[in-house]
Amino acid sequence: MVKPRILRIDLASERPVYEQIVSGLRAVLVAGEFAPGEQLPTVRQLAMDLGVHHNTVAESYRVLAEEGWLDLRRGRGATVLDRRGPKPNAGAKQGFIRRLEELAAKAIADGVPRAALAAHMAALAERLRKS
Amino acid sequence: MIAHPQIVFGLLMGAVAALVSVIFWVIPNWSRQEIFFAVTVAPRFRDSSEAAHILRGYRVQALAHVAISFALILLGTLEQRALPLILGILWLVFGPLVAMARAHKKVLPHAVAHSTIREASLEPRSIQLPGGWLLQFGPLAMLAIVAIYLSLHWAQIPDKFPVHWGLSGKPNGWSVRTPRGVYGPLLFGGALVIGISVLAYSYSHLVRRVPVPAAPAMRDYPHRIAVLLLGVEYFIAAMFSLVGLLPLTGSPGAAPILILAGAILAAAFFLGRWVSHAQDNLPHAMGLAGDGTPDSCWKLGLFYFNPDDAALFVEKRIGFGYTINFARPGAWVILALTLLVPLGLAALTIFQRRP
Repeated sequence: MVKPRILRIDLASERPVYEQIVSGLRAVLVAGEFAPGEQLPTVRQLAMDLGVHHNTVAESYRVLAEEGWLDLRRGRGATVLDRRGPKPNAGAKQGFIRRLEELAAKAIADGVPRAALAAHMAALAERLRKS
Repeated sequence: MIAHPQIVFGLLMGAVAALVSVIFWVIPNWSRQEIFFAVTVAPRFRDSSEAAHILRGYRVQALAHVAISFALILLGTLEQRALPLILGILWLVFGPLVAMARAHKKVLPHAVAHSTIREASLEPRSIQLPGGWLLQFGPLAMLAIVAIYLSLHWAQIPDKFPVHWGLSGKPNGWSVRTPRGVYGPLLFGGALVIGISVLAYSYSHLVRRVPVPAAPAMRDYPHRIAVLLLGVEYFIAAMFSLVGLLPLTGSPGAAPILILAGAILAAAFFLGRWVSHAQDNLPHAMGLAGDGTPDSCWKLGLFYFNPDDAALFVEKRIGFGYTINFARPGAWVILALTLLVPLGLAALTIFQRRP
């Protein structure tokens, strides 16, 4: 059975909703769950389903378009692009490692068991290797 | 033995009052388990003595309002006085609403935090109206067949024919053999059918969608609402077809009206149960508290006003079906179009009854 492609946000989160949408969609796109040329839901549709304002979703799509994930030509909705990986950027890699370590430390401080965290990160690493 | 028309009318009004009372009695049961008088509550709250007390209070008040309004309507009709009649109709509309608003206020202190988690499917949306195009066009086809039949029998239509009858059974409203007089009711019926089709199509496109694999009931519920609307379209087409044939058939007599009324009641009962049964499954299917709309955006528990929600239609919190998000300009357009229907019906009635 094909895994359903679902976007989840938390309106009570401290993170702005548009950032949650960008992160959620980026994760789906990085995992290769959308083939190039496939359409994402329209701004109106996704805003309606999430119960948020159109502008919030439109802003998220704009961010993803700037990153090269989406083509937002008028009248064609949001089309997934065949995004080739950008050139290796040492700064981005270091920044990501630092943020990941901070995130892991926060999770442990919040009571997430180390073993569970390690298992999740291993599963994530495995998915990344396969995608 | 022929009963006195006033007694017949009184009995008829009594039956209608009983039906309206039953509707107001059961309406609080037609919402999700976790929504009580439009307030998000704990799933077990409905079983508490406090909830039973609020429900009892609402029902007593609603029944009292219905009794008062029908007494006024009966008085106005039998005495042929407009003021009690208008007052009775207004009382029937607003009286039970006041009872609901009071119950809503009493439930508010028991509100629980609704879920802030939102999920959306990223899959393409597949929209299928029940029965396909063939069944969807049935009501319009029915009206078109009657129009063709009338045009084929045009010569048999009297120059002046009755379209309305009083309590005594004597005609008191007339129309004439002109295209407007003969085809007018059919055109109006067609306009109503198209209006409801547009509403059904809008629902299928503009209602919030929840990921289906996790919640099959969320797909089932809109489907049942669409079936219900299609049923209403067929009923309207049948009713206006009968009205359209009046120039040829003359007075329909009491029997067809009673059969039609019985069929409407039976259909309303079964379809209502069928739709509300799908609604019963919604909270379990979603696994989230509430219906995904904040309590604070529900004014008096009846009107949804949320500028931050892109949805034009949201699930009703009292009764079943959908209501509009009054904060969206598009919702006001839909409201205006909806109001045009009863206004048009009133205009048609006045036009038809002109001697």
